[in-house]
Amino acid sequence: MNMVANTGGAGLRSILVRYGFLIIIAAFFAFFALYTSSFLNGSNLLNIVEGSSILLILALGMTLVVALGGIDLSVGIAFDMGAAFAIVAMKEYELAWYVAVLIGIGGGALVGLLNAFLVVRLAVSPFLATLGTFFIGSSVQRVFTNGGGPISHRRVPTEYRNLAIGDVYGIPSEVIISAVVLIGYYVFLERSIFGKRIHAIGLQQSAAVVAGIKVRSYIAIGFVLAAATCAIGGIIGSANLRMFTPLAGFSYLLDAIAAVFIGASMHPRGRPNVPGTLVGVLFLGMVANGLNLMGLDFNTKDALSGLILVGALAIAVAQRKLR
Amino acid sequence: MGLLSSCQSKRANSRSVSMTFDAQILNMSGISKAFPGVQALDAASLSVDAGEVHGLVGENGAGKSTIIKVLAGVYSRDAGDVEINGIGFETLSPAAVHDAGVRFIHQELHLVPHFTVAESVFMGQELQGVLGTKNTAMRRRAEEFLEESLNAHISATTLIRDLGIAERKLVQIARALIDSKAQIVVFDEPTAPLAIGEIEQLFQAIRRLKERGIAMIYVSHYLGEITELCDRVTVFRNGKNVAVESEIDERSTETIIRHMVGRDIEELYPKKDHGVRDPILKLSDLTSDGRFSGIDLAIGKGEIVGIAGLIGSGREELTDAIYGLAQPTSGIVTLDGKDLNVTSPSIAVEAGIVLVPRDRRHDGLVLDLNVADNINLASLDEVATSFLENRKAAIQRAEALCEKLDIRPRNAEAITRFLSGGNQQKVVLARWLATGSKLFILDEPTVGVDIGAKVEIYQVIEGLAAQGAGILISSSDPSELLGICDRIVVLMRGEKIADEPAITLNLDSLTALTTGGGSVDTAT
Ligand SMILES: Nc1ncnc2c1ncn2[C@@H]1O[C@H](COP(=O)(O)OP(=O)(O)OP(=O)(O)O)[C@@H](O)[C@H]1O
Ligand SMILES: [Mg+2]
Repeated sequence: MNMVANTGGAGLRSILVRYGFLIIIAAFFAFFALYTSSFLNGSNLLNIVEGSSILLILALGMTLVVALGGIDLSVGIAFDMGAAFAIVAMKEYELAWYVAVLIGIGGGALVGLLNAFLVVRLAVSPFLATLGTFFIGSSVQRVFTNGGGPISHRRVPTEYRNLAIGDVYGIPSEVIISAVVLIGYYVFLERSIFGKRIHAIGLQQSAAVVAGIKVRSYIAIGFVLAAATCAIGGIIGSANLRMFTPLAGFSYLLDAIAAVFIGASMHPRGRPNVPGTLVGVLFLGMVANGLNLMGLDFNTKDALSGLILVGALAIAVAQRKLR
Repeated sequence: MGLLSSCQSKRANSRSVSMTFDAQILNMSGISKAFPGVQALDAASLSVDAGEVHGLVGENGAGKSTIIKVLAGVYSRDAGDVEINGIGFETLSPAAVHDAGVRFIHQELHLVPHFTVAESVFMGQELQGVLGTKNTAMRRRAEEFLEESLNAHISATTLIRDLGIAERKLVQIARALIDSKAQIVVFDEPTAPLAIGEIEQLFQAIRRLKERGIAMIYVSHYLGEITELCDRVTVFRNGKNVAVESEIDERSTETIIRHMVGRDIEELYPKKDHGVRDPILKLSDLTSDGRFSGIDLAIGKGEIVGIAGLIGSGREELTDAIYGLAQPTSGIVTLDGKDLNVTSPSIAVEAGIVLVPRDRRHDGLVLDLNVADNINLASLDEVATSFLENRKAAIQRAEALCEKLDIRPRNAEAITRFLSGGNQQKVVLARWLATGSKLFILDEPTVGVDIGAKVEIYQVIEGLAAQGAGILISSSDPSELLGICDRIVVLMRGEKIADEPAITLNLDSLTALTTGGGSVDTAT
């Protein structure tokens, strides 16, 4: 896979370009470590990881769709549906917490099903299809909550609550759940034959069709899986707050996209990939945390994330030119 | 200066110097270029005189396209000198080369699918009037040029995506030449995707350009074309020029082949002897409205059937329909005695029908995956333990097939985009080789493949047939069809007009059948 090895005499410029993004990450890390007293603190580092868990889960779903050559603007809706279905299942129907979790995941999957129908059956482009789903899903939530009021459920079962605030040997359960999802996605996308087909579809769809791959099924399943994954994020979110907050998922959309493309820019052939997405998510989490510790306005975080994203993509382009 | 003289003495060494009295218009010497892990050019030289057609030949991966991309300023050279019209160029940029009057017809078509013909021809060189671009004038010029210099009747308002590959090639040529400032035109395998009628058109255009004193570099694997067109020929091997031949005629072919592959090639086509056997594929009255109609065709187990036909004859559409890339409107397809309703390629592949598509870069390969991934793409189950890919098995399977087809470089982990054109073609073939499929549809299977590799591919095809597979070869190369097929079907305007044993046909009769009785009339 790695074509860039053994050139010899690469020169400083090409080293900078090749490892540019890792150098930027290291620089930010060093900067925060030097300029804030508490950044390097073990509990703060754990904070970054814990604070990134939900974003990681959504970004992994996004990675799957982008690897298939699409984009999913409705990850937030799937997140919301996961929370809503699970909370309502427990509150209104008094179902067991694990049944509620499954129902939440199923609720998220419905969002993916709609996307799959629009993209595969009606041949709408993924961008427009998921934008449509986003609008429909947002509106549905407002209608059912009379304009966006939260549905709270103070007496959620402790097991459900522990999905967000529990821990196992000191490791927060959010981190454990996201790690399981991460490993699952890694095996599925980067190690399995399904992942190989998915990458082939995303890179050159017509060639995948001619090679006899069931491209339409893969795209449909991809959207459903991605949405079901995002619902897990929503379930954790609702467990944390003990309520369903309409439209809460939207805040993850742009970060999820950014993380996937930062990750792709680190791949030698510019491909979205699971380890890259992990780095992208942790990087965004680190920047948000560091700026926070420096007492900087939280609102500048987005500007910096934007600059970093553009910078990462520029580096990626430079990397490809170098060859 | 020293370079110029050394090169001239080299030329004086070659047997005789005919019609090279004119000045050297291009002199590239000692050119080297390395890519990670490959020395694509190793002190190679190429020099061209004004007004000559200079052939450039060599095996797949010999470095032909690379030296041309160096000249084009696409790749920077590691070493060597380039002089155009006596002026040395330290570095070459695409703009500088263009200003020096060099034009390129690259192997790959770089046209925007939803541009019109006129827009494509004038892209980046629009005719400017006071009120913006002169669209009518451009349309007229484009049509005129296509008609007069290339003998092509293409409306300037047609979209590129509605043209066949051959017509796109002509548009690409028109685009390079329309400003009439060209001094050197470089053709990289221009006829590879063309049908017989169009090849003659292209040759006429080339001869006309030559009369106007334009020098040309002509890269091709069709040695017949080389000997017909070229005044001199440079042979590349492993990144070096191993010979420059002048006084080219038919008898030069053998010498050139020997320089290319380092051995003699005796039999281009394998001996064939296929008796009548049970049919594996039967088409009855297959029709696709507006494309082809009423096609009956049977292919026996172990039989090699060829389809000949010009662009627009329905040849491409027919193979697409059998493979499920397009839906026929009516008719029956039977494979191995069972009726098939092939609505997508995945169904075809499951049933045992496979396709090597004509447009390898678009439909054949995922260019950004490596060679092993591309080869294994349709057989991933075989290189997996349950659903996890077994990298080692994958590489081994791919390497065995690379070995069999002599794919170079012999590195299954090389990114497919960086393979030479001919080697990419072999990767597509390799994918289906070990799948045990029943029917192989091969659309232009040897396009861009060197003569040594062609022989190997023909043997592979013969081997598949010997194992009982049916083979359907769609090709624009009549001698290929005559050489390898048991039977040849000729299509014209969507109808089958002939279905004959290959031994009853020869080059002239097949060409006559394909072009409609000899007169080249592809229009309407
Ligand atoms: N961009 C690239 N990166 C890495 N390797 C390359 C690149 N371009 C070409 N090569 C390698 O350089 C060698 C020469 O390739 P080139 O395309 O010049 O061959 P060619 O003579 O044109 O062959 P063909 O007849 O098959 O078109 C090949 O081994 C090829 O794999
Ligand atoms: Mg080439």
